[in-house]
Amino acid sequence: MENKKIKKINLLYLLGYIFIPVILITICYLISYNFFREGTMCVILLLGSPFISIIWWIFGGKIIFKKNKKRLENMFKEQGLVQNNTFYGDGAEVIVDVNAGKIGLQFFWNPTESYIISAKRIGKAWVDDGKGGVGFMEGSSCVSFLFTIDDVKVRVYTFKSNQRFKMNSDYILTGISKADKMVNVLETARQNDK
Amino acid sequence: MGIIKKIKALFHSDWCSSCQIAMTENYKQLFMLPMSVGHYVSHENAEYYKKNLVKVSSKKDIPIGIYACGIKKYRCSKCGNNLVQLSIFLPVRNQEKYEETIYFKNGELDAFIDNNR
Repeated sequence: MENKKIKKINLLYLLGYIFIPVILITICYLISYNFFREGTMCVILLLGSPFISIIWWIFGGKIIFKKNKKRLENMFKEQGLVQNNTFYGDGAEVIVDVNAGKIGLQFFWNPTESYIISAKRIGKAWVDDGKGGVGFMEGSSCVSFLFTIDDVKVRVYTFKSNQRFKMNSDYILTGISKADKMVNVLETARQNDK
Repeated sequence: MGIIKKIKALFHSDWCSSCQIAMTENYKQLFMLPMSVGHYVSHENAEYYKKNLVKVSSKKDIPIGIYACGIKKYRCSKCGNNLVQLSIFLPVRNQEKYEETIYFKNGELDAFIDNNR
């Protein structure tokens, strides 16, 4: 577990997540075209499958991710580790036991694996404030903290928006503070890992 | 008391509410408020601050992602009224993210301030 190579994306899951509903819709449409051209069954096949697919695309991943986050937290507890700091990002959950120097990772796009690794494996940790633009256009729409584990770069967003905010706005400052804190926590854990 | 002065006093939090004159600042200290970024909860009760505030000498002493609280105490030179102002903010690098300002007018924090002079 400790030395397992970090895999952020499970390609099979990603492709399945996108294409299984598409295949389901196609099958339902084919069945409807060949056997049920009208009637209740036709309505169910033509409207039901896209409805189920949309529900799956919106909520499916989130439900699976939520379940996996719980699994990681339980694994952390079972190993006798203390959840000092936890950051719930959209794409990943990061749990840190600062004193023991252990890090728990769960990725949204890799639901089959939960990682608990030694903090020593972190090569570098830094903050990306997403600053861009010049003059009055200067600002950011996302803030994240990044770290490398055996040369695999992991980015966790602390703030993300479809709008650009000034660098001194509350959203950006909060995002930077969260990211700074997590980088500090990761570095402390790395130092504490003997 | 002139009406203009009364209106002006509305916009000056450090003015005496009864005399409408600027009060003199006689205490100023920075504290650490042990709440981390993203978990701020507003508290109106002075007891909370008495229990949790930790005196620090500068912003550098506050860990990353932890809130700070600047306390100022004012006294009216005319009527002797006291006012304690708590400015709560999150230090972020060389900037501050303002959270809120809380006032105590009835001496709720006087003993605490005397212990932390």
